[in-house]
Order: sequence, then C-alpha cells, then structure tokens
Amino acid sequence: MNLLTESETPPHYSISSKDIIRLENASVRYRVPSERIGTFKEYIIRLLQGRVKHKTFLALSDVNFGVRRGEVFGLIGQNGAGKSTLLKLVARVLQPSSGRVQVAGKVAPLLETGAGFHAELTGRENVYLNGAMLGFTHQEMAKKFKDIVDFAELWDFIDAPMRTYSSGMWARLGFAVATDVDADILIVDEILSVGDDAFQRKSSERIEAFRQKGVTILLVSHNMSLVKQICQRAAWLDQGKLMDVGSVDIVVDRYLQSVRDKENRRLMEEQVETVDRRWGSKKIEITQVRIYDELKQPQHIFYTGQSLILEMNYLAHETVDSPVFGIAIHRQDGLHLTGPNTAFSGMNLGKISGSGKMIYTVPHLPFLPGKYYISVAAVKNDDTEIYDYHDRLYPIQIDNENRGIFEKYGLITLQGEWQHER
Amino acid sequence: MDSMVFDTSQSPIIYDSAKRGHPAIEELRQIFHYRYLIAQLVRRDVLIRYKRSVLGIAWTLLNPLGMMVVLTLAFSQIFRFGEIKSYPSYVLSGLLAWTFFSQVTTAAMVNLVWGGGILHRIYLPRTSFALAATGTGLVNIALSTIPLLLILIVTGVPLSLNLLWMPLPILLLACFSLGVGLMLSTLAVFFPDVSEMYQIVLTAWMYLTPIIYPEEILPETIRFLITTFNPVHYFVKLYRVSVYYGRVPSPSEFLIPTGVALVFLIVGWFVFTKKADEFAYRI
Repeated sequence: MNLLTESETPPHYSISSKDIIRLENASVRYRVPSERIGTFKEYIIRLLQGRVKHKTFLALSDVNFGVRRGEVFGLIGQNGAGKSTLLKLVARVLQPSSGRVQVAGKVAPLLETGAGFHAELTGRENVYLNGAMLGFTHQEMAKKFKDIVDFAELWDFIDAPMRTYSSGMWARLGFAVATDVDADILIVDEILSVGDDAFQRKSSERIEAFRQKGVTILLVSHNMSLVKQICQRAAWLDQGKLMDVGSVDIVVDRYLQSVRDKENRRLMEEQVETVDRRWGSKKIEITQVRIYDELKQPQHIFYTGQSLILEMNYLAHETVDSPVFGIAIHRQDGLHLTGPNTAFSGMNLGKISGSGKMIYTVPHLPFLPGKYYISVAAVKNDDTEIYDYHDRLYPIQIDNENRGIFEKYGLITLQGEWQHER
Repeated sequence: MDSMVFDTSQSPIIYDSAKRGHPAIEELRQIFHYRYLIAQLVRRDVLIRYKRSVLGIAWTLLNPLGMMVVLTLAFSQIFRFGEIKSYPSYVLSGLLAWTFFSQVTTAAMVNLVWGGGILHRIYLPRTSFALAATGTGLVNIALSTIPLLLILIVTGVPLSLNLLWMPLPILLLACFSLGVGLMLSTLAVFFPDVSEMYQIVLTAWMYLTPIIYPEEILPETIRFLITTFNPVHYFVKLYRVSVYYGRVPSPSEFLIPTGVALVFLIVGWFVFTKKADEFAYRI
C-alpha cells in the first residue's frame, strides 16, 4: 500500500510505516472568552446584547509527524510552545480541532506525584482507585499490587490513610502505580524529580527498563543534555508550529541555535534603552560600538575561548592631543573584571581630529558562562577629563551549552594544560 | 498521504481521532469500558463520607432519622390533616427522595469542578463524576430504606406488597437527577458562581415541593402550579405512592415522571458531551 517513497516527502516530515503515534495536520484551537465573564447573570445579559466575544488561541497548528515504535522521542521547545498540548492529544485528554491523531497502543501518562489520590483513603484503596483511573480492573490491579508496594517500599503504611503520608511517600506510591502498567507508550512530562536521590535512581532505572522492553517513550524536558542522552529523535515546537523533527542531535542543536539567536536579538535591543549611563564633554564622541566574533559576524553570545572583536567609531569635534581609548568589562553583579586601554598598551595616538575607528581584539575570551557588560570610554591622557563614557551599555553573554566546554568553577579559565609524569 | 500506512501488526489502532462517533454515543461506549472506575469512585465516595466518624456508615441511617424527628417536632402540630395518617413517615419518605435529588445534583457538579483536575492529565470518561455521584446516591437511599421501614412499622403505616414498586421511582429519580446534574456541571464549568447559586435555588425548591407539608394545604392555584411545573414533585409523589400510600401507581402517576426523567437525562447527556471536550482546558 505504501506508494510514497521516503524521498518524495520532505525528509524531516516523513511519516514512516513503523509509527506508533501519528499526527496529521493536527491543530488545537482553544476558545476562550476575550473578556472574563464571571457570573451567569452577566453572561445572559451579554448574550442578549450580543456582546459575548470569543477569541481563539491556536495552541498547535498543522503539526505532522510520527513517533516510531520503541523509540525514546523528545519534545523540546520553550514554555508555551505547545508541548503539553501535544502530549494531551496523544493521551486523549484533548481532541484535535482539526486534523487527525492516531495512536496504535495503550498510553500510560506518568501522573504528577499521585494526582487522583484521596487523602482520606488508605494507600491500598488509593492504589486500586488510581488503577481504575488508568483503566485497570480490580483483578488486574490485584496482580500488580505486590510489585507496586514493593517498589514504593510502603508495606508498613499501606493500610494507613494517605493523609498520614509524607510528600515523599505520596510521590513514591504515585510513581509506582503509574509506571506499573503494561503500556505501549509512556508519557513523561518533566517529572523525573520526585523523591530522594535513591528513589530518583530507581525511577530512572525503571524508565530504562521500559525502554529495553520496547515501550515507546514520549519525553518532554527542558534539560537538553538529558534529551540528547536518552532520546533517539526529537521534535521542536515553537508557538504551536513544528519547527523541526528528526535525529535528536540535529534538532537539539538547531533549537539551541535559535534560542541563542533570539537571545542575541534581545541583547541588541537592550543596549538602546539606557541613555543616562553615558556622559562626557563630547570633544571626542564615540558614535558607534560594534561587537563581532572571529568571522566578523555581529555577535552577542560567545563561548569561553572564542575571539571577540570590538570596534568603536569616534568623531573628534576638535583636535585632541593623545587621547586614551579604553574598555571595561563588568560581571552582571557589578564585579569589575578587566579594564584595558590604549595607554596601558603603550600606544600614543598623537593629535586626532575628525572621524576614525578603534579596534580591540580579544584572541580568547577567558570568562566562564554568565552575562557581562562592556563599557567604552575616551578620556584625556592625564585622566582629568572624560570625553565620552558609555557605562556598561553593551551586554554580552557567555554560553557554553553544547560546546564541549565543561569548566565551571570560579570566574575565568586559565586555558592551562595538564600533564602527567611518573 | 496514504493513511493506511500504519503499523498495526503489533497492536491495533486503539485511538483514532478521526474515527470518533457522535460524542454522546462515544461517551456511552467509554462508560461501559470504564465501568470499574465508576464502581471505584462510588466506593470512594461512600467510604470517605463517614471515614473519620466513630459511627461510620450508620450516619446514613441516623441522618434522615434525626431530620425526621426535628421536622416532626416542629411541624406535626401545625399540619393537622386527616389525610396524613403518620406525619413522621410522610416527612421521612419525602425527605429521602429530596435528599437523593439534592445530593446527587450537587455532588455531580462539585466533583467535576473540584476533582476534575485529573482530566488535564489522563483520559477518563467525563460523565464518570456525575455517574459516580448518582451511584453514591443510590447506595445511600438503599441503606435509608432500613430506617424508613422501621418508622413505617413503628408509626403504624400498614406495609403492603406494593412496597416492591419502590425501586421504580428511585430509578426514575436517579435518571432525572443525573440529567439535571449533567446540565448543572456543564454550566458550573463555565460559570463558577453556579455552584453557590444552586444552594439557594435548592432551598427555595425544597419549600416549593410538598416534602414537609401535604400538598392539600396549598391554595388551589399554587397547588396546580407546583404539581404541574415542579418536576421533582412527580418523583416524590411516585415514591410515596409505593412506600407511604402503599398502592399501585396510576398510569399518569407513572408515565409522566418516566417521560420527564428521560427528557432530562437525554438533554443533559447531549449538552454535557457536546461541551465535554472543552473541559480539559476550562477546569
């Protein structure tokens, strides 16, 4: 029946015959009142006046992709991208407003720390109730009961009301019930963080056991290294649209790049706002400051060890003898990290007038990840007059995510080398 | 795109959003599939209600008895009518039917609005909450039959075989209450004030229903209005026909409430299931 070859469909939108979950043009529209109408009376009045307006909010828009049987599939994207909405479609909690969702297997959502438990019921009663919510009968739950309580390590308390449980015990029982299921698809929504360290290890082992049994896992996480570590493929959503789907390394890298680009744009816009952080006599005016990477691309996000080039255009309104140009870099909390200038470098600029350009090149940025602010200044050579001072107007960010740079203690890297002799 | 290309070799497609039937029918199918959940929810509601009290489930029996005693002391001197052979039995039978209605409708709404958060996470048939509320009501009214029989005997109301009709009015009342409960739940999801407002409506509604007073004391016009347009009245009357009056219901006493119950149930079911898809992001 498969008349389409893989090459006829765009590579990362291909839908394979091995799919266990498939979305075809799936869209979800939320219909929400454009104003909050609190009371029924108000609603009736407005209805009669014809003033009930709804706006629709597109949470997912024409999403197409498939998840293959037995793979660990990651869903990534920023908050509000539609990841949870997509999970709800697969879990049948929501219906697509248009398009189609198909699921070829039993779905077990990993519940948030025992959602659906009732405090007045005993642990035992709650296990059966929660099982029923997941669609199991009494007999099926009776068979699982021992394993569940074993895993949660709660035999001493299983017949006590759950209001007497600690939150850790509550979470353990919730995880144990939700994962003791014979499901084909497991939905994990950023909740591998319940219980103490030992229980977390047990939880990860259980997820791993699921994977080995061939259970398909749909994982939502903001932890990109976790996603890269355990997923084979991933889909990236942004504002309800599918941006990319495919091999996890490629999708995650593209996603991180786009986050970086967005951040870059935000930093660029940020520097225009601060006017009162500039002063000086303006005999020399610094008219423009640009920051580039080693490829001469305008850049605001760097990684440790990368080159940075700073250019400042100046305009000397009168002839000035031997001015000094300098920069300063502060950490976000105000710590002054460095302050190089032309005088320290033994440079005498002589008499200048009119326009020109100063270029400062940093071969390897030593700073560890964080946000830093660059100041630039032109001053008189004896420090008695400031011609122009831009105080921390130019933010840059050091971000080593995904760069294979692991140093993280302190402020800077010495870029030293280790040797071992014996 | 060829939608037949889909791996069904290992497990069949168990969910396809494009193949869902009419929501009202689909819901029925799912309710059948999840019948064990409803039983568990009923069990939960019955268990937790009296869990912390010493007398436990005995309160199901003691509550209506206590109410009956209070009302009898308060009103038996006021309503002196030849029609009422035993005021305690009259008021208790009315009270049981009314309590069933008010508890089921309130619980259907409150369970969905307060307990519906689970619907964000996993799929459950949305009518589970209202059905469980109805089931809980049925358990309660069945248990209350014991004190009712006791009072009937003690106050000298003759017991007849016509008592065996009793399940019929209860069943019809259950259908009616479920229908009303579903409509209220739908409203309450969109308008949070409804559940508060409903408590006031219930109080007024109770006094507009001949529960604690005989309908004969009402002036002719008001009596006509209440006995015609107050649907709850039909069910209370039918219940009393079997337990209190001990006779066979007349065709109209039986057919009108049947029709009313079915209309409310069907309309409630359709309204609720039509809006149910929005619940997951409204609650």
